[in-house]
Amino acid sequence: MKTTWAESLMQDLEMRHLESPKVGWDVQKATAKILAFLRRGALFSNHLIAFAIILTLNFLLPRMMPGDPFQAIYGEEALLAMTPQLKAELISRLALDQSMSQQFVAYIVALASGDLGHSYFYNQDVLAVILDFLPWTLLLTGTALVISTILGFILGIESGYRRGSGLDKTLLASLMFFNGFPDFFMGIVLLLIFGVVFGMVPLSGALTPYSGLEGLPLAIDILHHLIAPLTALVLVRVTSAYLLTRNTMITTLKENFILTARAKGCSEGQIKYRHAGRNSLLPVVTATGLMIPHMITGALFVEIVFSYPGVGWLLYNSLLTRDYPLIQGILLMVTVAVLVTNLLVDLLYSKLDPRVSHAR
Amino acid sequence: MHVDIWHEVTESNVGKAGLILIGLMVALAVFAPVLSPYSPRENTDTPAFSRPSEEHWLGTNDARQDIWTQLLYGARTSLSVGFGVALLSTFISVLIGGTAAIFGGLYDRFWMRVVDATIAIPDVIVIILVAAYLRPNVLLMVLLLSALSWPGGARVIRAQTLTLKERMHVSAARTFGASWSHLLFRHIIPDLGPILVAMMIQDARRAVFMEAGLSFLGISDPSVMSWGKMMQYARVFTYLEVWKWWLLPTGLALSLTLIGLSFTGFALESALDPRLRGRGESHEGGI
Repeated sequence: MKTTWAESLMQDLEMRHLESPKVGWDVQKATAKILAFLRRGALFSNHLIAFAIILTLNFLLPRMMPGDPFQAIYGEEALLAMTPQLKAELISRLALDQSMSQQFVAYIVALASGDLGHSYFYNQDVLAVILDFLPWTLLLTGTALVISTILGFILGIESGYRRGSGLDKTLLASLMFFNGFPDFFMGIVLLLIFGVVFGMVPLSGALTPYSGLEGLPLAIDILHHLIAPLTALVLVRVTSAYLLTRNTMITTLKENFILTARAKGCSEGQIKYRHAGRNSLLPVVTATGLMIPHMITGALFVEIVFSYPGVGWLLYNSLLTRDYPLIQGILLMVTVAVLVTNLLVDLLYSKLDPRVSHAR
Repeated sequence: MHVDIWHEVTESNVGKAGLILIGLMVALAVFAPVLSPYSPRENTDTPAFSRPSEEHWLGTNDARQDIWTQLLYGARTSLSVGFGVALLSTFISVLIGGTAAIFGGLYDRFWMRVVDATIAIPDVIVIILVAAYLRPNVLLMVLLLSALSWPGGARVIRAQTLTLKERMHVSAARTFGASWSHLLFRHIIPDLGPILVAMMIQDARRAVFMEAGLSFLGISDPSVMSWGKMMQYARVFTYLEVWKWWLLPTGLALSLTLIGLSFTGFALESALDPRLRGRGESHEGGI
């Protein structure tokens, strides 16, 4: 009995990611409990493996380059201007004079203590440089993510509810059209139209320098700088949430409980949002999680176009100045951010889905 | 119910628009030497930053090069990267996903594990990292993009193969002792036609987008023309009027390629998904 049970468990586990999340599963409570636990464990380890791969790449790439690994890590330009003392200090810090395995240990130990290396260009620790630029990226990505998810959700519900109508067709066509624009081109177009031609938005930066603004005027100034990059990101990225909600809406509207709701005499709005909409929320939340990497890369490009002082702009400049430690540090931070948010979304998902949370 | 998927795609407006756009871009790329008398790097006799004219449809750039010609040759790069990645990545997806489903067991579990982990990796980051060290060429770009885009497809192919595997003709072939390659290429792939095309379109779209984005960042093969590189370069001159015929057309060409691919993909996917089919019936009158 036990073996068959375990077998079915494994089968269920394997099939899990093939099914769409809305398929209900009537398994015993205990099975569900174990499954949820195993699933979370598997998910966590996937992220861990992905992280390990990035770490290894980060470690191996500069050391596999032909020639002096120190030169590969810091770049030729930095090397020319470096004092022998600094060079000796950095070599011992990276344990470059020791064996590969010792270097790897040194690398991991340094990472664990938050040491991402030394940016020669800024003459500062990489972590400190990144932390300077990070808030702006968080602001841009966060607001863009929230707005495009909510907007996509609402538009998707309205569009799916009136499938085939003029509204639906217009929304579908225009949003898919915008989605075809790469983020950076959308940014360029908005910058040209509203910045260059109309002069309505500032051309660069995140706030007016040395303005001495405080309180509300400062917030308005920040918003004024944020609005164009934000619009570019939302216009391009709203489509995935929209399309998903629309598709789920179309399927959900065919369900029996919608019929019941209508029979009960629920108002249109109640059916739309409380019945069909709520059931379309789950896939949207999952998709939001999957969207985060795209949103971050989108933000990187948009920041470059608007010279918005975030991590993307920093990455672009470090690519130009060949500041390798900084490039590595940024990429590592972004990876961690993406992996952690994905994990959080998965946890949120089990909170939102009554079937999953019930099982716990 | 038998559904003619190709017919459905060519019938729908979205599908038609998408196919026309793709066709247009392919034609531009293929007939580039016919459509322009210049070569993309040729310094013409026309002064720099001249406006569009009879000789130069989109004017000239700062180095007196013909922008229209550069646009045409940029299409070649974009489309060949897109096409290359679509083919290679779909091939890997079929090979891994198909064999995982056919063999099952530990082999299957191993590969699905690899797929799960690879999907979690943010691909732009890995490419930027690798490209920052190894000076990229087009081939390396195709390889990198394919290496990161196959897992999603492999999952789909595996799921499809698992159901196909139980069909009569496949089990009959197995009884006769057919090898896995025979099963995969003779019995399973032919049944997956439209799904494979949908996957290829998705991969191609992503690859075209990434190629443009990366060359916009300055990560590109210096010896080839590329839309992303052109835009990055043209962006510097926004204080002049040249952006109207330099920056905008380039970005539009890129966007139209992407839109063409996503429209075709969307039409194909709606034809493939039975739940979304049935345009005519509306739920409002349905109850």
